[in-house]
Amino acid sequence: MAILKFEGVKKQFGDNVILKDINFEIEEGKFYTILGPSGSGKTTILRLIAGFDYPNGGSIYFAGKQINQLPANQRQVNTVFQDYALFPNLNVFENIAFGLRLKRMKKKEIQLRVQEALALVHLAGYAHRELDELSGGQKQRVAIARAIVNRPKVLLLDEALSALDHKLRKEMQSELRQLQRQLGITFIFVTHDQEEALAMSDQIMIINEGLIEQSGSPVDIYDEPLNHFVADFIGESNIIPATMVRDFAVAINGKEFICVDAGITPGEQVEVVLRPEDLDITTVEKGKLTATVDSQLFRGVDYQIMVHDTDGHEWKINSIHKTTVGKQIGITFDPEDIHVMRKNETQAEFDARLESYQGVEA
Amino acid sequence: MKKTSTLSKLYLTVILLVMYLPIFYLIYYSFSSGDTMDGFRHFSWTHYQALFADTRMISIVLNTIIIALLAATLATAIGTSGALLIERIKRRTLRQNVLVLNNILMVSPDVIIGASFLIFFTFLGIKLGFWSVLLSHIAFCIPIVVLMVLPKVKELPQSLTDAAYDLGATRWQAFSQVTIPGIMDGIKAGFFMALTYSLDDFAVTFFVTGNGFSTLSVEIYSRARQGIDLEINALSTVMFLVSLLLVYVYYRFSVKPSSKGGVVK
Ligand SMILES: Nc1ncnc2c1ncn2[C@@H]1O[C@H](COP(=O)(O)OP(=O)(O)OP(=O)(O)O)[C@@H](O)[C@H]1O
Ligand SMILES: [Mg+2]
Repeated sequence: MAILKFEGVKKQFGDNVILKDINFEIEEGKFYTILGPSGSGKTTILRLIAGFDYPNGGSIYFAGKQINQLPANQRQVNTVFQDYALFPNLNVFENIAFGLRLKRMKKKEIQLRVQEALALVHLAGYAHRELDELSGGQKQRVAIARAIVNRPKVLLLDEALSALDHKLRKEMQSELRQLQRQLGITFIFVTHDQEEALAMSDQIMIINEGLIEQSGSPVDIYDEPLNHFVADFIGESNIIPATMVRDFAVAINGKEFICVDAGITPGEQVEVVLRPEDLDITTVEKGKLTATVDSQLFRGVDYQIMVHDTDGHEWKINSIHKTTVGKQIGITFDPEDIHVMRKNETQAEFDARLESYQGVEA
Repeated sequence: MKKTSTLSKLYLTVILLVMYLPIFYLIYYSFSSGDTMDGFRHFSWTHYQALFADTRMISIVLNTIIIALLAATLATAIGTSGALLIERIKRRTLRQNVLVLNNILMVSPDVIIGASFLIFFTFLGIKLGFWSVLLSHIAFCIPIVVLMVLPKVKELPQSLTDAAYDLGATRWQAFSQVTIPGIMDGIKAGFFMALTYSLDDFAVTFFVTGNGFSTLSVEIYSRARQGIDLEINALSTVMFLVSLLLVYVYYRFSVKPSSKGGVVK
């Protein structure tokens, strides 16, 4: 059963509608990521889950019970704040013990639980440090320890890693993931970094302007973005207008290509997504499309090559082979590299369509 | 660099000397056996003996201290709540206006405040004495406390109280265990400022003391008008030492070396 459920949740501040209609289910023991651009309402969702704000419409269920107006201090949810929000007048031990003391737990038990939590975040031996004797990464760990020591059902993390430098951030990503598996607690992690989302999550929810655009596993979302926004937001992509010819065939620049999508009305205007790493450069004769190289950028592992085709569309290609700026080249790709997106298709419609023809195929 | 530093040292020394000279002059003569400051006779404790035998003076000193402690404590409580409430006001203009009202009370001359309190108390029929002095001291201390506490309230992130609720705290627990410790530096500074303002207030007190009640500054003023009495010098010496102690206590226990805002009047 779902531990947490949003049903048509709305939230507005004054006349400013922040969340329009949010629906999702969160299962126990998984790592969820809410991904979206700045101002899309990610923090607002977390605040509704934590109980710092209440929704203006719809329902929030926790373990089957509606908790719309349940005060934050009665929810089995804990939060790791973006700015850590550690209590400056308390040392590391007292910060972590804060929640346990409020529960009037016995001293010995508190001692044990705090030490255990410190060990989990690799800070054993730091119990009696003052906060100003800690680095940013260590404060982050204390904030995590302070939350997990209460053994919540759901742990909320709001941009928990964004204040850390690149290297530390990568380290913490895998540590968090490991911690989640170890504890078996549901994590809901908020970020606007798509790379982070792809690397860490079981499930990603992509939110934009108060609506969930798409949710699914990282692979699903990367390979089958539902719409222009998701395709653009997740990874690098070429999004090119096209026309559906018939099932399993789409026309780009008037040329017909075999694809793996079906169930779309012939002649419908669609968009195709092609990932830069799926495109290969070849000779003009062998190429499916002809293009001219505009620029080339060496990025360590590969070159990012910008070209424009005979119809004037810009293409981004990632290749380990060098080319020459100004040269005419051919672009080639495989049928499964093409992903067709219909305009205004909802996730349910997309899933139904996928079902219909994949059933046929198999 | 060397040159400027000696110059500035000299400057500071001169300034401090000029400022402290009258006090040291007073202290010096408090040990003289004579009755005037015309010339130092010989060392003696007579004026101190007179001071400690002067029960009226002792009781006035106690009054002054009691008034100051009560006024500072109550003003700190009221002013701190005020600062917390001001920060809660959502509308910017309203918040700004409340602050302006607060600051007007800070800068308006004591004489005017004192006179208006006098009119106020006589209008209400409140007898002048302990209560009128206490009430007016509380009143003029509140804006000071608000001014000292408000920046700390502003600095306190909202996420801290959210974190407290998140960890299971009730409103009261979040308030007493997170908000109050978070603004404690401002509260302490406000309390000490209020204490010093109350201790040495003359103008306001002068208006609202009745016949039977007096504070130190008013008493010294009225005695000084009757002619010089070296008992006042002895008292000044004692007060000077007490102030030194207070300042020491304040810096020792409330102001960390790095934090700002450690203004002591
Ligand atoms: N208390 C509030 N009062 C009014 N507007 C608010 C309030 N809280 C948030 N908003 C508005 O709601 C919108 C969404 O805010 P939210 O904090 O959820 O965004 P976010 O997705 O977390 O963005 P970011 O990635 O920048 O943190 C913003 O436009 C913000 O201005
Ligand atoms: Mg946010």
